[in-house]
Amino acid sequence: MAGSAGGAEGRWCPPGAASSPDRSAAGPHRSSETMALKQVSSNKCFEGFQKVFEHDSTELKCKMKFGIYLPPKAETGKCPVLYWLSGLTCTEQNFITKAGFQQAAAEHGLIVVAPDTSPRGCNIEGEEESWDFGTGAGFYVDATEEPWKTNYRMYSYVKDELPKLINANFPTDPERMSIFGHSMGGHGALILALKNPGKYKSVSAFAPICNPIQCQWGKKALGGYLGSDASKWEAYDATQLVKSYPDSRLDILIDQGKDDQFLSAGQLLPDNFIAACTERKIPVIFRLQQGYDHSYFFISTFINDHIKHHAKYLNA
Amino acid sequence: MSARSGRVRQYESSGQLPDQSGSPPTADSSGTEAEGLIFYHMDLYGSKERFDIFPEEPSGQADRSQGNSRKETALSSEKIQHSQEAGYDLEKEVAELAKMYGLDEDKEKELELLGGHPQTVERRWPPAHTQKAGSQGSVYSASKSSSPVKAQSTKQQGLPGEASQDEDQSKARAEDDAESHTWSREGLSSGGMSEEQSSQAVSEEEETADVFCSTCKMPIRAFDKLFGEHRDHEVAQLSNAVESEKEEIHKNMCKLEEQIAQIENFASHLEEIFITVEENFGRQEQNFEVHYNDAVQVLAQKYEEQLEALGEEKRQKLEALYGQLVSCGEHLDTCKELTDTTQELYLENDKANFMKAAVTMVDRLEEFLRKEVDLELSTLPDFEERKIDFSEVEQLMNSINTIPAPCAPVINPQAPNAATGTSLRVCWGLFSDDTVECYQLCYKPVSNERHGDEQAEHMLKVKETYCTITNLLPNTQYEFWVSALNASGISPPSERAVYVTAPSPPIIKSKKIRSCENAALVCWESRDINPVDSYMVELSKLTDEENDDTITESIVGIPNCEVLIHLQPIQSYRICVRALNLGGSSESSEPVLIHTTGTYFCLNEDTAHPLLAILDDGFTIACDELENPECDLPVYDNSFTRCIGILGSLIPFPGKHYWEVEAEEDTEYRIGVAFENTPRHGYLGANNSSWCMRHIITPSRHKYEFLHSGMTPDIRITIPPTRIGVLLDYENYRLSFFNADIAQHLYTFNSHFQHYVHPCFALETPGILQIRTGIAAPPWTALP
Repeated sequence: MAGSAGGAEGRWCPPGAASSPDRSAAGPHRSSETMALKQVSSNKCFEGFQKVFEHDSTELKCKMKFGIYLPPKAETGKCPVLYWLSGLTCTEQNFITKAGFQQAAAEHGLIVVAPDTSPRGCNIEGEEESWDFGTGAGFYVDATEEPWKTNYRMYSYVKDELPKLINANFPTDPERMSIFGHSMGGHGALILALKNPGKYKSVSAFAPICNPIQCQWGKKALGGYLGSDASKWEAYDATQLVKSYPDSRLDILIDQGKDDQFLSAGQLLPDNFIAACTERKIPVIFRLQQGYDHSYFFISTFINDHIKHHAKYLNA
Repeated sequence: MSARSGRVRQYESSGQLPDQSGSPPTADSSGTEAEGLIFYHMDLYGSKERFDIFPEEPSGQADRSQGNSRKETALSSEKIQHSQEAGYDLEKEVAELAKMYGLDEDKEKELELLGGHPQTVERRWPPAHTQKAGSQGSVYSASKSSSPVKAQSTKQQGLPGEASQDEDQSKARAEDDAESHTWSREGLSSGGMSEEQSSQAVSEEEETADVFCSTCKMPIRAFDKLFGEHRDHEVAQLSNAVESEKEEIHKNMCKLEEQIAQIENFASHLEEIFITVEENFGRQEQNFEVHYNDAVQVLAQKYEEQLEALGEEKRQKLEALYGQLVSCGEHLDTCKELTDTTQELYLENDKANFMKAAVTMVDRLEEFLRKEVDLELSTLPDFEERKIDFSEVEQLMNSINTIPAPCAPVINPQAPNAATGTSLRVCWGLFSDDTVECYQLCYKPVSNERHGDEQAEHMLKVKETYCTITNLLPNTQYEFWVSALNASGISPPSERAVYVTAPSPPIIKSKKIRSCENAALVCWESRDINPVDSYMVELSKLTDEENDDTITESIVGIPNCEVLIHLQPIQSYRICVRALNLGGSSESSEPVLIHTTGTYFCLNEDTAHPLLAILDDGFTIACDELENPECDLPVYDNSFTRCIGILGSLIPFPGKHYWEVEAEEDTEYRIGVAFENTPRHGYLGANNSSWCMRHIITPSRHKYEFLHSGMTPDIRITIPPTRIGVLLDYENYRLSFFNADIAQHLYTFNSHFQHYVHPCFALETPGILQIRTGIAAPPWTALP
C-alpha cells in the first residue's frame, strides 16, 4: 500500500482532517498563563481518553497541535510519558488513528504524546513545495538557515517545550519519559535519545532513518535546514551520534520491515547504525521483519512490542 | 488361705452379733458409723476366744457401751445416781469395762468413739439436767474415759485375778477428785466433749456464768471466783475455754473421720477377699470332684475286671475237678463190671466153656489193668496270685494336687506401629485362666517358596505375654508362634502369626531434586528388597530462628518413590522421607534442604551426546573436540546423537521458570527448551518439539537465531550476550531470552506448550556453557 503511494509515509492522510479550530471544547486540565491549551477533540478509548490539543508554541512561533492519550490510570495517579514522533508528511492524527497503540498504553498506564511533524502555517516560501522538506518534514532539527531557523526548531520543541507543556498540564511523572518514532520520527527519537543521555529511559524506532547524512532524504533536509556544511549535519545523525555516546544504559529496539521500499532505496541504512552500535557496544535489538513494508500496518503489527519495551523501563 | 477364709466366715457369723447385742444407736450416729463399728469389732476380735467373752456378760457390755446412747434414760440416770451414791461401784464398773474393751491398746480410740454417745444424749435433753447432774455426768464420763489407761495397767499386770488391786488404785484416783478431772481433760477428748455439752447446758440455764473453772471443769460466775467455792481455783475466760475446747473437739472429729474411712476401706477389702475365697475354693472343689470321680471310676473298673477274672478262674477249676470226678466214677464202674464178670466165670462148671471165657477174660483184665489209674488232682483249690495295678489310680490321685497343663495361647495379630526396622513387639494372650509359668516364643523369617532351605527357627522363653524381638531384618516378614508352659507341661503351640518389620529409611536422591518457587519434585530410593506399602514425606519450613525442628506438613500415602510438593516461594525447607508398611514407619531419611528461590533443575546425563562432558559441578558442560570417533563412545538410547547437546530435568510444574547460561562471547551454542521426547538425531530448534536461541559466528558478525521448526526471525543483536537469561512462562505461553547482564530482552517465542518442556543446551563448536539455576527471575523479565 505504502509502496503504491510512491511518496512518503502517511500521504493518504487528509491533511488537517481533525484540526478544525472551531471544535475547541473545554480547556486543558490546567492552564498556565504562558501555555494555554485548547482541546480540539476528546474521545474515550480503552477506558482512557484520546485527545487533541492546540497551543501557541513559543519555540515554533505558530499554533501547534498534538495528540495525547491519557490512560485510565492517569485519573488517579501520575503516569510516565512516551513521546511518539511521526514520519514525513504526517500530522498528529496519523499515529493516533492508525497505530492502535491505545490498548497497550492503557494496559501499561502510559501517557502517549504525539506531536505534529513540523511547524504549520508559517508562510515560509517553499514550505509546501515538497513532501520531504518543509511542512510535514521538520526532521527534528533546530534549523540554522534562513528562512527556516525562526520556526523550524522541532528538536527544541520536542526536547523542551512540549515536555514542559505536558508536565504542566497533565498528571505526569517528569522523571520518567521515553521516546519512539517511525521513519523520520525514528530518526528523531534516536537523535533525541542519543543527544540527551539519561533524559529518556528507553528508545525504540520503526524503520528509522538511521544515517541521514548518507541518504537522499537526509541530505536534502539537513542541507536545507543546516546549510551545506555536512560536518554540522553529524550532530543530527544517529549513526554518528552513537560513536560519541557515553557508556550509559540505553536499550534500543528497532523494527524494520524487510519489504520496506525505502530500505532497499537506501534511505534508512540501519546496517550502518547497527555496525556503529556493535562497535560502541550500544545495546540494540534490530528485528528485520519478513514481508513488512513501511506503512502503519507494519507499525500496528509491532506497536505492542514497543509499548512493552518502553513500559519495562518506564514502569521499572 | 484357709486361715483367711476362716476369718471371713467368722466375719459372716459374727456380723449379726452387734445387731443382737444392742439395737442400733438410736439417735445421731449414722448407719455408716454403726457399720464401721461393727467391722471394727470384727476385725480386731478376730478369734473366737474373744467372742466367747461376750456371752458371759452380754447385758453389762451392752449397757455400758451403748446404754448411754439410748433413750432409756432410766438406766443412765440410775447409773448417775449410782455413781453419785458410791464412787467405788462406778470405778468397779469401769474396771470391768476396761477388762472387756481395753485389752488392746488400739481400743482406746474405739472407746473415744463410744464415749461420744453420752454427749449426744445430753445434748438432746439439756433442760432435764441440773447443773449438778451435768457436772456429775461429766465426772462419770471422765472416770469412764479413764478406763483404758487402767485397762492397760491391768493388762500389763497380766493377771485378771488382781483386779481388786486395780480397783483400789482407781478408787484412790476417784477419791482425788481434782487430780482425776485434770487428768481426764488432758488425756481424753470425749470427756471434754461431754463437759462442754454440759457446760453449754449450764450456761443456758444460768445466764450469769462467764468464767470457766479449770479445776472444777465447769463454768462459773465471776462472782463465785471471787467469793464462792472456786475462790482458790484456776479460772479462764469462758469464751477462751470454749474456743480451745472446740479446737480439741474438731481435732478429734477429724481423727474419727479418718478412722471411719480406714475402716470402710478395710471392710471393702475384706469383701473382695471374701469373693476371691469363694471363687478359689469353688474352683478347687470342682477340681477335686473331677479328679476323685475319675479315680473312683477307675477303681470301680478295676474291681469289675478283677471280679470277672476271679469268677472265670473258679469256673475253670470246678469244671476240671468235675471232669476228673466223672472219669473216676467211670473207672469204678468198669472195675465193678470186670469183677462181676470174673466172679461169674468162677461159677462156670464147663471146663471148655470156662477156658474159653477165661482166656478172653484174662486178656480183658490184663488190658484194663495195663491202664494206669490217674489219681493226680487236675487243679489246685487255691486261686492264682493276682497283682492289682494301682499305678493308674496313683497317677490320678497324684494329679489331684497338681495343675493341668495350660491350653494353647492365642497370638495377637500385629498391632500398628509395634515394629521398627530391626525389632518387633509380639503380643499374645490366654483364653483360660490357666497357670502359666512362662511362654515359649518361636519365630522364623517367612521364606519364599523358592528358597528350599528352611530358615532357622529361633526360640526364647518369656515371662510376660509380650516380647520385643530385636536384631531383625528390616521390611521382612516373620512367623511367630507361642506355647505356654507350667510344671505340668507345655501347651500346644498357638496359631502362627505373621509380623513384618518396619522398612529401612529411604535415601533421597539429592542430586535429582528439582524445584521451583512453588513446588519441589523429590525422589528417593528404597533400601529394601521387598516392596513397602507407601511413603511419607515430612517437611519443615526453616526460619531464621534456631528451632527449626517443627514439622509443618506431612504428606502420607505416597505410592511411588517420587512426590511433587507444593511450597511457598522464597523459603527454605528441610525434607525427610519415611517408608511405611504394616509394621510401621521407618526412621527418617537423611534430610535434604530445598530453597524455593528460582527454579532448580539438574542435567539429565542420559541424554548427553557422547562428546559432551559434564564437569564435576554438574552444571558445566563442555565439548573439547568435534571429531567423532563413534566406535569408542558409548551411545545410550536416550542420548543426542547429532547435536552435541543435553537435556535438563525441569520440574513439571506450571508457572515461571528462569535460568541463566554463561558462555564466552565466541562460544557457539543452542540453548532453549525441548519436549522430553524431542528427536535425538536432530538439531535443537530444527523441529517443532524444541525452541532455542542459537549463536554462531559468521565471518562478518555474531549471528543469533531463534529457532523453532527450523525457522528463525532475522534479528541483529549489537552486544553479544555472555549471560543469557531464559524465562519459561507457562502461564503466559512464552519463552523469552535476555541478555541478563544488561537486562536486554532478546526475543520471545509465543507458544502454547502442549506438554511440560525441559531446558536444553548444545554446543556447536568446542566450548563451555555454564548453567546457573536457583536464581529468582529478575523483575525486568516481567516485560520483554
